[in-house]
Amino acid sequence: MIETLTYEYPASQGVQQRAHVGVVASGNCEILLEPAADGSASIVVRTSVTGFGTTWQAVLKRFFARNPVAVRIEINDFGATPAVVALRLEQALESAL
Amino acid sequence: MIAVSSRGRVWFERLTGTQTPVGGLPPSVLVADTAIGGRAVRAIAVVPDPNGRFPRARAGEMGIDEGFGVAAAVNATPSGSAILGIVDVPGQAFGTREEAVGLQRALAASTDAYIRARRAGHPVLALVVGKAISGAFLSHGLQAGWIGALDDPGIEIHVMSEPAVARVTRMERDDLVRVAREVPATARDIRTFATLGAIDRLFSVSDPERPSATDVEGVMHTLAEALRDPRLGLRNPYERLDTPDALRTRGLARRVREELRAQWDA
Amino acid sequence: MTVLLAESFAERGARERARALLDAGSFRELIGPFERLSSPYLATQGVVPQSDDGTVVARGTIGAQRACVVATDGRFLGGSIGEIGGSKIAGALELARRDFERGSPTRMVLALDTGGIRLQEANLGILAVAEICDAIVALRLVMPVVAVIAGRVGVYGGLALSTSLCSTIIVSEGARIGLNGPDVIETESGLDEMDSSDRPLIWRVTGGRMRHEQGFASEIVPDDVAAIRSAVERAFADPHPLPALEAPAFPDPRLERDAFLRALGIEP
Repeated sequence: MIETLTYEYPASQGVQQRAHVGVVASGNCEILLEPAADGSASIVVRTSVTGFGTTWQAVLKRFFARNPVAVRIEINDFGATPAVVALRLEQALESAL
Repeated sequence: MIAVSSRGRVWFERLTGTQTPVGGLPPSVLVADTAIGGRAVRAIAVVPDPNGRFPRARAGEMGIDEGFGVAAAVNATPSGSAILGIVDVPGQAFGTREEAVGLQRALAASTDAYIRARRAGHPVLALVVGKAISGAFLSHGLQAGWIGALDDPGIEIHVMSEPAVARVTRMERDDLVRVAREVPATARDIRTFATLGAIDRLFSVSDPERPSATDVEGVMHTLAEALRDPRLGLRNPYERLDTPDALRTRGLARRVREELRAQWDA
Repeated sequence: MTVLLAESFAERGARERARALLDAGSFRELIGPFERLSSPYLATQGVVPQSDDGTVVARGTIGAQRACVVATDGRFLGGSIGEIGGSKIAGALELARRDFERGSPTRMVLALDTGGIRLQEANLGILAVAEICDAIVALRLVMPVVAVIAGRVGVYGGLALSTSLCSTIIVSEGARIGLNGPDVIETESGLDEMDSSDRPLIWRVTGGRMRHEQGFASEIVPDDVAAIRSAVERAFADPHPLPALEAPAFPDPRLERDAFLRALGIEP
């Protein structure tokens, strides 16, 4: 069915505005990114491809280590590969800075 | 030539008392000008025609000739007359030839005719006596301001057959059964459909295939009642969103409209 | 000489298509993704909902006149129409009709790229389509209603029926307009009736070029944003509504049934 995963990382940078990228199509994902007031990055992933918690953890941890931004992120996923997820995160961040 | 029986034909004949319908139309489109409760009504039914010239529209489906035929019948409705669609349509014609000649346009023709007739002041009623499937129901029945249906397991209302749904969504049959219970919008029976606010009256009848005199009287009586209040047959589809059922089951459709209204001229 | 490269319309997402059809800088989305008005019916069916439900409504101007573009996203569930997307389309059309009655008409453009009613929301979808049909006709009685069918899917099902109610239909070669999808025909009527893998046949029968030749679409355009914008502006500035929905006159040299079908490679 649908798996919901949540993650949180420390943050030290802000973003200017919210951003929206992607689409819930096979092999793709949609990302909604909003500035967070509370100095942390919190992510909710909803995916129909279950059982990949460790992979999500790795991708997100790496992204937020490099970009410690205080954001609230929702990812609606339909089987995007780690490379596609990373790309979408980069695109979203770029629009938000 | 013996006419093939169908619930649509049976109910048409019992409600209009005629086997000689208005001429000049394809054999699959039965039309009669009758009276119900003292009011003029043009009754229209779509029925099987095994000799139809389009091979996939011979079992009562809405095909090319039926779409344009119903449109012609509705467009020629006598002034001051209400319109009653008797609905028993197992679907739209599933055929290559029909697609080639523009089936979407044929069904649009009858949909368009019903809408313009209703908006021009002809009350439009529909009575679902059998199947009311997808594009066929959109083009013959769903534009009525008032819709009644037999309360019978033989009634089917849906958008696509189960095998086709399973193929397109790649869901197993068991899942589809479970989902039909959890998501009323995917159920295929008339009672669940009625909870969405689109059915104004459910009729219990003793025999939907061969209605008794009492069955027919009951339906005629209710149709006469529905005709007595002219606003009923004139309701546009979106007005159903204010029915008690819709307040419960179509909250999102209402909310979207509220938001659009609020944001339209920000 | 400056060569202008064609900018693909079909490769854009719904949001960007809507933006492209509105005057530059006038795009303003209603009920956007951050309002999170998404489908509550999909999770139990193993589908992750999209934040905008795959349909975008945007206000703006076209030719400096009030306008609204609704665009469906063919990439989310095949662009299929559920309760929310369907209500966005119907609601926008209803407001455009209200605007006309109040003396400030709003031009409506439906950029549809959809396989039809979303099966996961079946009966809510069909009710929304009935509302859409009524709203299109109500608006068409007083002003042009323009459909742009220029995506990768085209338009099928109840939305193809709705499209046929519009006064102007702008179609691209790559898009298709049909009622039943090829795999549905194959499932319902068998492989002899329709081989859904026969792509040349499918485009011959339902492709934009054929529909334009049949007189079912007003204009055929290349997959180019500028050409499509231009066609849309023309549709309002100088309307030539499609003929009334009447039976094709058989025999008619162009549409004589048997000859026509044979020309498509279909045995009558």
